[in-house]
Amino acid sequence: MILYYKCPSCGSDMTFDPKSGELICDSCGRIENIESYPEELKQAEFSPEETKEYQCENCGAVLITTADTVATHCSFCGAGVVIGDRVSGHLAPKRVIPFTITKEEAIQAFKKWCRKGLLTPKGFMTADRIQSITGMYIPFWLFDLNSKVQVSAICTRESTYEEGDYICTETEFYEAFRDINLNYVKIPADASEKMDDELMDRLEPFSYDQLKEFKTPYLVGYLAEKYNYTDEELLPRVKGKINEYIEAYISSTFRGYHSVDYRQKQIETNNVKSFYVLLPVWMVNYDYNNKVYTFAMNGETGKVVGFPPLSKGKMAAWFGGIAAGTLLAFKCVALLMGGGFL
Amino acid sequence: MRHGLLKKPWLILFFVVVFLIGGSWGTLAKAASPHEAIFDQAHLLTRVQKAKLQALSSRLGKDRKTDFLILTVNGTGGQTLERYVEDFYDSQAPGYDKAHGNAAILAIDMKERDVYLAGFQKAKRYLDSGRMDQIRNAITPELSDGQYYQAFSDFMHKAHDYMGYKPGVNPNSILFKWWFQITVSLLAGLIIIFFMAYRSGGRVTVNAKTYLDHQSSGVVNDYDTFLRRTVTRRRKPSNNSKDGGGGGVTPGGYSHSGSSGKF
Repeated sequence: MILYYKCPSCGSDMTFDPKSGELICDSCGRIENIESYPEELKQAEFSPEETKEYQCENCGAVLITTADTVATHCSFCGAGVVIGDRVSGHLAPKRVIPFTITKEEAIQAFKKWCRKGLLTPKGFMTADRIQSITGMYIPFWLFDLNSKVQVSAICTRESTYEEGDYICTETEFYEAFRDINLNYVKIPADASEKMDDELMDRLEPFSYDQLKEFKTPYLVGYLAEKYNYTDEELLPRVKGKINEYIEAYISSTFRGYHSVDYRQKQIETNNVKSFYVLLPVWMVNYDYNNKVYTFAMNGETGKVVGFPPLSKGKMAAWFGGIAAGTLLAFKCVALLMGGGFL
Repeated sequence: MRHGLLKKPWLILFFVVVFLIGGSWGTLAKAASPHEAIFDQAHLLTRVQKAKLQALSSRLGKDRKTDFLILTVNGTGGQTLERYVEDFYDSQAPGYDKAHGNAAILAIDMKERDVYLAGFQKAKRYLDSGRMDQIRNAITPELSDGQYYQAFSDFMHKAHDYMGYKPGVNPNSILFKWWFQITVSLLAGLIIIFFMAYRSGGRVTVNAKTYLDHQSSGVVNDYDTFLRRTVTRRRKPSNNSKDGGGGGVTPGGYSHSGSSGKF
């Protein structure tokens, strides 16, 4: 089942406009509010593996999609289509953050980011070899986690004072106990097999005040994937993500002690709530020296992540500069202390 | 004319007195001048070595406006070497630009195998007892080996070097060492470059507080029970007495820094 969004006025294909957050008709300029656009899709339920071929009802061409594709374009007539059965039923995303950055803005932001690269080669910085830039909705699970922590520890507090010819160190021992309740909300974890986890983690944070009730028209004009991993499968990864946060919180409750020796530490983390969302990401393919580099840009905040090429010459120059600068600073300090410059 | 003749003997007497006083000042100034820096009463140096040290003393002394003096004796007549050096300063009145001026003195007594270093005026401030200790420690092995010329020239070089550092700064501080400065600089470069390369792909901007719900999170229950108290005592390091103990005041009222030891 393929969904099209036709302009009620002229019948052209409508696309999502990140600036206004509405559907817009490129031909006649009509704007349709997504919240009020009739939604009759969620009842329909199909097996997600059912078909990989669709026929474009616009032009009649055959659309071949992967089993995970949710939204795409017809390669012949360019109409944005949403494959409805892949975003319905248990595959229906609960929420979506729509794109707020347009393609042009994304290109500009990416070019700006390339210019700021301190270690990237000069040829890379001009950012004139962008092969493709694709707006994609990436499937994420947002987790609300609750952690119950019980820690007991032997802690010490030290003070020193002078007594005649002696320096006395007084050590006080305490048995300390902490019962901590921690709630972490909306921790994202990408549920797409294709996306690099580390890359997606660096895209954070998304600002959740833009989180909208999911409606299929948001996807029109973009690519979208359905999730490959369920929330249960991703739970260990998310627990791992907050582990260091929990540890940091625990140690913050022992502030004031000079040493803390943990005797018992119980951390029990439970999944309170998890829901499936689609988050906007611009994928940029960049051709440099016959190699394609992939970058991802947060479609809401414009933050760019990726692994750019590093210029050996620039690295050497920075290294030399920093080392020489440090040495100079040393010499100046030595000079100030009366040690002479050489 | 008659008037002038009458006064003439008086004038002559006046000139004689002035000449004599001037002469005695002249001899004093001679003792204090950089020309006489080596007082080798124990005859440890050859004529050539003496001349070389003399030249070294004038050259380095000019730079620091300080007399670098070497004093060797064979017995001090019962008094301590420190007292001997004090008397020497009082009576000989050395100094770079005036009597009882800036002077750094290395004295050794062959009979008791004592070594004493003293700094007066500017040398007292720049070569405090701590620095004198460092110099003495550096040259004592050479003195023990009988390499007197080497030890004396090392004393002058080191004293000259140390006077380049402001008072209160440890001239042997690791901060002044070339190898340390270069190693730290290279390390700083490496670490910063590594950090920059790591950050070039976008940095993590979420932290422990990003996803924490502050309102519903916190410590539910806690207690801190006092168990026991232990006290350990250790003696204060006796650094201060060591640093300050080397100096003193001459009978003539000149205070000085100093460091004494055996070789």
